[in-house]
Amino acid sequence: MRRIMIDRYKCEACLGCVLGCMVEHNKKGKSIYDLDLEDMANESRNHVEVDYENRPAPIICRHCEDPECVTTCMSGAMTKNEETGLVEYDKDKCASCFMCVMSCPYGVLKADRINNEVIMKCDMCSNREVPRCVEFCPTRALYMVEVAR
Amino acid sequence: MKYLILGASAAGINAAKTLRKLDKDGSITIISIDDKVYSRCMLHLYIGKKRSIDRLSFVEEYFFEKNNINWIKGRRATKIEPEKKRVVLDDGSSHEYDKLLIATGSSAVVPPVGNLREGKNVFTLRNLEDAIAIDKLADGSERAVIIGGGLIGIDVAVELMDRGLKVDIVEMGPNILPMQLDKRSANVYERELKKRGAGIFTNVLAQKGVLDSNGNIVEVVLKDGTSLSADMVIVAAGVRANADFIEGTNIKFDRGIVVNERCETDEEDIYAAGDVCANKPGIWPLAVEEGITAAYNMAGLERKIENSFGFKNSMSFYGIPTISIGNPNIDDEDYQIDIYDDGKVYKKVVHKDGIIYGAIFQRDISYAGVFTKIIAEKIPIDTIDKNIFKIGYGDFFNINSKGEFEFTKREYGLKII
Repeated sequence: MRRIMIDRYKCEACLGCVLGCMVEHNKKGKSIYDLDLEDMANESRNHVEVDYENRPAPIICRHCEDPECVTTCMSGAMTKNEETGLVEYDKDKCASCFMCVMSCPYGVLKADRINNEVIMKCDMCSNREVPRCVEFCPTRALYMVEVAR
Repeated sequence: MKYLILGASAAGINAAKTLRKLDKDGSITIISIDDKVYSRCMLHLYIGKKRSIDRLSFVEEYFFEKNNINWIKGRRATKIEPEKKRVVLDDGSSHEYDKLLIATGSSAVVPPVGNLREGKNVFTLRNLEDAIAIDKLADGSERAVIIGGGLIGIDVAVELMDRGLKVDIVEMGPNILPMQLDKRSANVYERELKKRGAGIFTNVLAQKGVLDSNGNIVEVVLKDGTSLSADMVIVAAGVRANADFIEGTNIKFDRGIVVNERCETDEEDIYAAGDVCANKPGIWPLAVEEGITAAYNMAGLERKIENSFGFKNSMSFYGIPTISIGNPNIDDEDYQIDIYDDGKVYKKVVHKDGIIYGAIFQRDISYAGVFTKIIAEKIPIDTIDKNIFKIGYGDFFNINSKGEFEFTKREYGLKII
């Protein structure tokens, strides 16, 4: 399967990946020029953390082989697609119980900030060849790799 | 290979699904009293008319057909005969197995408190039938008394109030949700419930129910003399394992079936998973993990339960989410308690010598899963020199050649980068 690889030492915490993710998931259009940063509905599914030595670390869903968010999901909203390897999220099935937020050991997940209802889950930009976070990364801290499952 | 699974909920279904993944040709049969697959964690949403029965399912459409699983519904096992490797059902039929999984879950218990067991309008919420019965009676009811202010009790209270009933909640602990929350975080929900008309009675037990001539409880009297009138009573005060049928076998039972880390019981080729097992909280993720683990071992592949940490819960009432991990109510001055409280967002971390033992996150639960991992595995944080509430996976960041995250090994008291 394809995975977004992270080289944290190249990350400059420019938040390009965060912007890219917001651009792709903006309901009002997929260009950077459509993105209204004052609109609370624009949220990213990834984030950049700063560690105890002030070094940045991009935190992006791994679509794990043994995903805790799937094991823990009691509504069937979070599933592992055995063909593509992606961990997929169906917001219509989701009961907003937040067990996935509680269970992801890498702290990738959160609920949407407006209604506290929908999980902000990476979808690898579904139909795109290159996910937007990767495309927006100017230092190549993010790049695509093909990995064996 | 002939796999037989008793139970069609979290553990049973996930075991079947995993078995099919591992063994394309084996015969898989599920026997369950349930005639539908549904998530018990969503039953309250049916009572609140927020989900139809179909939308309580946690499996894809045509799950049994797609995975080639034979499903015998509406039947329960009455006896296991390990020497003949077969299970006898309540209709007298018997079914043979090469590998058997017991995933029959647990049942809600109504305590032997005055008349509660006799009352016709007394319910628990464990099965779909319970939810359907509560939904029906709620239509003509004005007042409900909920005995037990845990997660299920509050779930039902919220939905019944949503339908216009006056609800009283009786909890023996100092506040509602005493297993998960502390006073500060529980008060937030108590306030929201009271605002909508709920009566909340804490530190008190129900003593008896007063029956009318039709056998319905019309009044619940508490130990302190308080009397609450009721059209219906919901009891959410504990469960017991569904394992009567193991009598006569060598399967060890101690308030639940005793299994090892491979989910094996003391009888050869018999496994158990989920709430029917002993010595752990009955929570969804553990049941699934055990179902998967049992399936691997049934299929001849070694797999162990890596972490059976079950003291974790998430909840959301009236749009306020909370995650509780470990024991956030440790009352011991050797422990350090760090609190962030801006009047809305509330966070609490209880720790000692660099190990976190409990945490609560209310209103801001983003990325809190890292704390579940740190608490469950007692990963030391004493070398992380930053605000404890800002600790994140970034502090443990390590990515392997397959692009998978791992936790940086941190020796206790040593700084390793």
